[in-house]
Amino acid sequence: MSGQFDVQIIERDDRQARFVVRGLTPALANGFRRAMVADVPTFAIDSVRFTENSSVMFDEMIGLRLGLVPLTTPLNDFEIGDTVTVALDVEGPATAYSGDIESSDELVQPADDNIPIVELKEGHSLKFEADAVLDTGKDHAKQQGGVAVGFRHLQSVTVGDDIGEFDEQEPEILRGAIETDEGEVILTKEFDHDLTNRYPGTELTVEDVPGAYVFHVETDGSFDVEELVLRAAESLGDRADELHDAVTV
Amino acid sequence: MMIPVRCFTCGTVIGEHYEAFEERASDGDEDPAEVLDDLGITRHCCRRMMVSHTDLVDVVAPYQ
Repeated sequence: MSGQFDVQIIERDDRQARFVVRGLTPALANGFRRAMVADVPTFAIDSVRFTENSSVMFDEMIGLRLGLVPLTTPLNDFEIGDTVTVALDVEGPATAYSGDIESSDELVQPADDNIPIVELKEGHSLKFEADAVLDTGKDHAKQQGGVAVGFRHLQSVTVGDDIGEFDEQEPEILRGAIETDEGEVILTKEFDHDLTNRYPGTELTVEDVPGAYVFHVETDGSFDVEELVLRAAESLGDRADELHDAVTV
Repeated sequence: MMIPVRCFTCGTVIGEHYEAFEERASDGDEDPAEVLDDLGITRHCCRRMMVSHTDLVDVVAPYQ
């Protein structure tokens, strides 16, 4: 296998991206996906010390919700196992939001400020201190940085002859991105996922492009997509090195 | 009770959009499908989280 992969970014913003990678085997593509899901660590609240909770939910229910709140994770400044203390103090009537969580480290903050934790009525109050731990998705799903990470074969479309004037054309539904005759990669949402909208009245052949995969990556807000993808590639490389060192005497 | 923080199936954070969805689609008169598209909740696993949720805090609160 060649050491080079050709990467082409189709769409990209902070929290989600779609890109084509050429020169992969299915196993390597899946290894890469799994690295994004399980190997890139994020901060998540792990243990909570409640000092006051007179809300309608039990401590455990609130603890579960807190664990799912994404926290920004600058991976250059922390190592796996590091903890950051956070605290919250809200008195009702009010709703406790993730944005009310105060962190002892300004680099580690809730990624979204509007997640409702619990609604507090008159006389209710919620007060706690909690530890956020940096760990990988392998350890607990709440620590996964990648969300809905997936890949599929890149498909290429070849336009054939015109179909008969009175022939009915079946819809040809595709998802993600396709490669056109000219070798251009376009998103299927541009033609509402139905190829017959783009090429009406023609015969179409759709084939998988060997070794080319379209990845769709989203993050929970802990870091941007670029960070997630690069860290995943790095961890895959590290593990390959580890295996190499282990088998060479 | 409260809207789940994340979608059960895919793990996307959806809790933050619930109040906006309620205000615009349930209390307002906008089309729920359009509101969800606008909020960026495009997968049907995430959409069902919003559409099928009922807030029970007001029901439970008197018995606390």
